Amino acid sequence: MSTDIRRRRAPLEPFTVVSIIGVSLFMLISIAPLWLILSGSFTAESKLSETGYSLFPHPFSLDAYRTILAGPTVVDAYIASGFITIVGTALALACTSGLAWVIARRLPMISRPLAVLTYLPMLFTGGLVPLYLLVTQYLHLANSWFAVILPLLVAPFLVFIQVGAFRQLPESVLESARIDGASELRIFWRIGLPLSKPILAVVGLFYAVNFWNEWFTALLFISDIDKFPLPLLLQNLIANVSASTMLPTSGQAVPVYQLRLALTVVTIGPILLAYPFAQRYFVKGITLGATKG
Amino acid sequence: MTEIGTAAAERSVSSTPPAAAPAPAKPERTRRPAGRVQSSLGVSLLAVPALLYLIVFHYLPMAGLVVAFKEFDISQGIFGSPWSGLDNFRYFFSSGDAGRILLNTIFLNVLFLAATLAAGVTLALMLNEIRGRFFKRIAQSAVFFPYFVSPIVISIILQVLLAGVGGSGGLVNDALLGLGLPQVSWYTEPGPWPWILTFVKVWQLGGYMSVIFLAAITSIPEEVYEAGAIDGASRAQLAWRVTLPMLRPTAAILLVLGVGRIFYGDFGTIYAIVGDNGTLFPSTDVIDTYVFRSLRQLGDFGTTAAVGLFQSVVGFVLVTIAVLIQRRYSKENSIL
Amino acid sequence: MPISRRNLLAAGGGLSVAAFLAACGDSSDSAAKADKLTVLLPGNTPTGFADVLAKVNTKLKADRGFTIDPQFIAWTNYGNQTLLKFTAGEKFDTALQARWLNMIQLVASKSVAPVNDLLAGGKYPNLSKTLDSRLIENNKWSGTLYGIPQVNSAARLQHFVIRQDLADKVGVSTIADYATLEKFWYDVKQKVPGVTPMGLNSNMTNLIVVPNPIGLLNPWTWENPHTITQSFSGNSMYFAFAADAATTKASRPIPFWDIPGMVDALRTVRKYYLDGIINKDALNVDADTQKSLFGNGKQATAWAMTDGTSSSFYGPLLQKSTPGAALANVIPLTGGKASKPSQTFQAENFVVLNAKGASNDKAMQLEDWLSIRENHDLLSYGIEGRDWNPVGDDTLEQLTDYNFPGFALSWRASLERKSKLISETEADWFAWAGDYDNFTTDTFAGFIPDVTPVKREDAQMAAAFTQYANPLFFGAVDVDKGLDKLKAAIDNAGLAKVQAELEKQADAYLKAK
Repeated sequence: MSTDIRRRRAPLEPFTVVSIIGVSLFMLISIAPLWLILSGSFTAESKLSETGYSLFPHPFSLDAYRTILAGPTVVDAYIASGFITIVGTALALACTSGLAWVIARRLPMISRPLAVLTYLPMLFTGGLVPLYLLVTQYLHLANSWFAVILPLLVAPFLVFIQVGAFRQLPESVLESARIDGASELRIFWRIGLPLSKPILAVVGLFYAVNFWNEWFTALLFISDIDKFPLPLLLQNLIANVSASTMLPTSGQAVPVYQLRLALTVVTIGPILLAYPFAQRYFVKGITLGATKG
Repeated sequence: MTEIGTAAAERSVSSTPPAAAPAPAKPERTRRPAGRVQSSLGVSLLAVPALLYLIVFHYLPMAGLVVAFKEFDISQGIFGSPWSGLDNFRYFFSSGDAGRILLNTIFLNVLFLAATLAAGVTLALMLNEIRGRFFKRIAQSAVFFPYFVSPIVISIILQVLLAGVGGSGGLVNDALLGLGLPQVSWYTEPGPWPWILTFVKVWQLGGYMSVIFLAAITSIPEEVYEAGAIDGASRAQLAWRVTLPMLRPTAAILLVLGVGRIFYGDFGTIYAIVGDNGTLFPSTDVIDTYVFRSLRQLGDFGTTAAVGLFQSVVGFVLVTIAVLIQRRYSKENSIL
Repeated sequence: MPISRRNLLAAGGGLSVAAFLAACGDSSDSAAKADKLTVLLPGNTPTGFADVLAKVNTKLKADRGFTIDPQFIAWTNYGNQTLLKFTAGEKFDTALQARWLNMIQLVASKSVAPVNDLLAGGKYPNLSKTLDSRLIENNKWSGTLYGIPQVNSAARLQHFVIRQDLADKVGVSTIADYATLEKFWYDVKQKVPGVTPMGLNSNMTNLIVVPNPIGLLNPWTWENPHTITQSFSGNSMYFAFAADAATTKASRPIPFWDIPGMVDALRTVRKYYLDGIINKDALNVDADTQKSLFGNGKQATAWAMTDGTSSSFYGPLLQKSTPGAALANVIPLTGGKASKPSQTFQAENFVVLNAKGASNDKAMQLEDWLSIRENHDLLSYGIEGRDWNPVGDDTLEQLTDYNFPGFALSWRASLERKSKLISETEADWFAWAGDYDNFTTDTFAGFIPDVTPVKREDAQMAAAFTQYANPLFFGAVDVDKGLDKLKAAIDNAGLAKVQAELEKQADAYLKAK
């Protein structure tokens, strides 16, 4: 019954109209480039090098995708990225929600110092060299997918997003559970997490996107091409001879414009396909049923 | 008529955040002090994995910050290199450009932060109004999409729009020509670039931010709206008086986190787009691009670390101030 | 439920504990195995490399008793990554290094092993045979050779690769001097719509006008190819030494803007920019994109180097996009092949030996082994019959995409094969560039300035240089105003101090010579 209330109003309220127009506009601006990218990735380089873009894939060409598929082990790269994304997101969510819960509880002597400890790494970093030494020489994680996952495991930004959400949980529900004699851990597991599904979905999505797109730690720590995650492999595909004009111009001739666009399509595709699954949790009032049930 | 609605909204606003309702908590704490302490220790265990992680991967490597005070030598490494006092810090500040670069960094970051937050909130409010499930889903996916587009591709698209292949004009200039307006040589005119970059940031992050706010909106209890609706408030009034105030805590978090990074230039985006185009530096050069440009050949970790440390310390001071202000004016929203 | 909770904690906690324990572990097992050399290479793993590597390792094992483990590092991060590996004290054996990478710092910190003593011992006859004595002499830094110079010709001179078919079309079939080249560009601009006469990209910056000894669009340098500029680091402020420094023993460096012809050259480029001879977006367009445009027939001229690779790079692209296209390399030196341009003969690329590597001797053995034609061809070009076929002694026909970064390990001027696709003019100039006697050795050939005393000033100059000089080089700003700003900024960054330091070091070099 409750959702009806949001719907019951007359459909032609001015703000609703404004919203539809506003969202449509933003949508258009957002996906117009997507179309340019998609269409361009199927357009022959000769046309792209004339205009830089193409509204329709004509003359049609699969050169870029052929180059990508001819490259080494694209399938392996999908597997690597899949592993990094799934395992990474799961571990990250576990660590993040645990930490966020403790901070959100405002426990005396514990929550505030923890919040500060979590925040400081957002400002201070030891730089590349110590991280490199730590991962390669102390943890011996070179060429392991965990070397890609671990440096990004807890993002302070997302911890605080989650803290904010945990703090908005209705205290009355938690309190009644406490009175029923539930332990704090049980409250976290039984009430806190289920009530926070929307934010868990969002934070999980953001982590997943981070892991899926990550190439820099992979570049640092993974030298075995069979273990390259997708973004790194794709980046490598454009033989980046341009690093210096001092270098010989040898190198296979690849369709540069087209290839860059096709690489974008190949990388974005899977995440866009996965997006609706995460979206399910924060589109409609999931919390509602949970609170009342 | 709206008085009741607002009152109802306020009531539930203040009852949701736990700290804002100290009345029921206090008696309980005094009633079972022992149990409370024990269980707070128990619940703290949840933070242990993350804490260990932070120590190993973030705090141990921070020892590397000492290199900011050293004359870095490759073969001796970070800890073996000789001390050099504050020498490394001098490089940035003795540069005649330091003032302008600092200003650019702050100006651009404030623009980015304000614009993306505003866009995120507006978009979330509007998305929340849309009732067609299908349209809503499509719209949400669509506005999130730009977040995936890499800065290199953004830079290619911008060149198509603003310069055209081989600098032949570009789509925007074609449009200007069509309207009978004078053409602009965008890539040699520094003036418009802060706004162009802001537009890019909004495009990139507007959808991302809106997802964060949407998640917050979905956890607003329905009763709040019910009260408002019975009261006869319009959708716009509901959004303005009910939804918006409920987004304040989230916005506050994003704001405070953003303030801490106000001295960090957005290197990834700015460098991909502006590159080494000196004509645009007057309005786009930020600390990170400047440091990259002047030190890429020297590979001097010491000086880079010194600039980084400076950025961190200033960020730390700003965040502390922000948090203190926040505690004073809206304690329940404070994150630290 | 309780089980899940425990699992959750165990997963997170166990992981961190494992990480923590591992952190306390020792790091001794990273010592390299002495029978497997780790070789750092830039770029991608070539297509079909696994088979080639297997063959290389079988033969290498049989011949010298060890194998190699090449690690390819993406170009985007090659400099950073190798520097990190040196800093972390990793025990790899060889790497590509160069002045435009971090060779100066590596030498200064003794991270790379000197090779002249190793070479002088006569233990590596095949390698010594392929290294010209002038190459070795001119690549010593203060008397020491810090790596095996990788070159495929004696000298390197930047020049132009042009569309010969367009030149024929507009009626300037033979281009031997700069004035004719310029006429070609203006004719193309007029008669061939949709084609930019000359393509520049954002990497080219100082190459466009600063003499080394040639500034690409600097007419004066094509008449007087004898000024070689010097800077403390990469794309930072350039200086030119007095022409008579060899006799007077006084270097007297001047800022590049005081070199004769320089201001005229800047004005020329500005004119090209305004007239649409060069692309207006050069400041922002990356090299790949610009090359792709030339390859697709949208530009009439592109940058080339005397390494014999421009026709084989652009040829196939053009064949596909622009039927009937033909290429020619143009070096518009006023005196033609007899003009003897100055050269420092300094190699762009070196194979350096890691001072902490397991065995510098084995690394040298590898370089020696790669100096035998059969081995060189195997690694450089792939498997004969599958990846390539020989055409005569010095030419090859490529059959696959196999593309090994030879300049990072196996370039030997006397062993390199040129592509069958090489244009006649390019083959001609490539042969010319292969002979040391066609060039004049620069007075400051072996001089590598030490940036340490003026590090801070140089860094600031590099920043100012990018900001104010690049737009001038690409013709994007008014010359007089731009030059004033550049001079003010460079002055402000410490021109006087840097200039004096360079003079001091250069004079010391002259005295020692």
